[in-house]
Amino acid sequence: MDRRKFLGLGMAALALVPATSLHALDFRKEKPDAWTAHTVDDSIKALYGDAKATESKDVTLKAPKVASNGGAIPVTIKTSIDAKSVAMFQDSNPESAVAVWTVPEGGTVSYTTKIKMKKSGTITVIVEDKEGKLHSATQTLEVALGGCEG
Amino acid sequence: MGKMKVKAKAKDGVVKAKIQAKHIMLPYDAAKKKGVDANFITHLVGKVGDKVVYEISTSQFLSKDPLFKFEFKADGLKDGDKLEMTWVDLSGATETASKKIKGLK
Repeated sequence: MDRRKFLGLGMAALALVPATSLHALDFRKEKPDAWTAHTVDDSIKALYGDAKATESKDVTLKAPKVASNGGAIPVTIKTSIDAKSVAMFQDSNPESAVAVWTVPEGGTVSYTTKIKMKKSGTITVIVEDKEGKLHSATQTLEVALGGCEG
Repeated sequence: MGKMKVKAKAKDGVVKAKIQAKHIMLPYDAAKKKGVDANFITHLVGKVGDKVVYEISTSQFLSKDPLFKFEFKADGLKDGDKLEMTWVDLSGATETASKKIKGLK
């Protein structure tokens, strides 16, 4: 039942994907493949195509080095880059994409949210600037208690 | 009170917002174990009037009762302006909450 429903969801989502550029606002509707990709690289490719990301000091990613509760890990992302979108991935959950922010005109990138990680791993953040260039930052952290309820 | 708490305060030209949503955020793994459908917020938008100031597409990997903090410029905003947050989840349900931004002149 579960699998059938999930496949159905996938088909419906695929049918809706127009071939537009990345200023689409609802990434879940526009880039469904990004959300089912199992590795960080696949998610990045599904979201941004083949653009390569460069590690950048202008992207600040803050997360605790050791998360005592894997179900609620606070992560803060800041950047001074004039960004179009910001995406967060991690490599320890079954699917890699965690969240994608669309940066509104004149918006400031200073985002905090709490995420779940099943076990220790690496969080990757990609900032897409107005020219389509990708800037990245990563942080590895340990998770003391897994966050996906098993 | 509803399923979302919105707090926003303007200082030095920047509005800092803190949103606490109440949502089970049940990932596929856990849902399977419980024998129910997965359900989690998939999209959250923040607007002041008709101007979008925040937009995030999310996954099952955000914490239960997720917290969102963000900032945006207070340019053009005035006393009485409200920050309106709307989320949509996997089941198609939506929830909206709005609150007056404090500290605006």
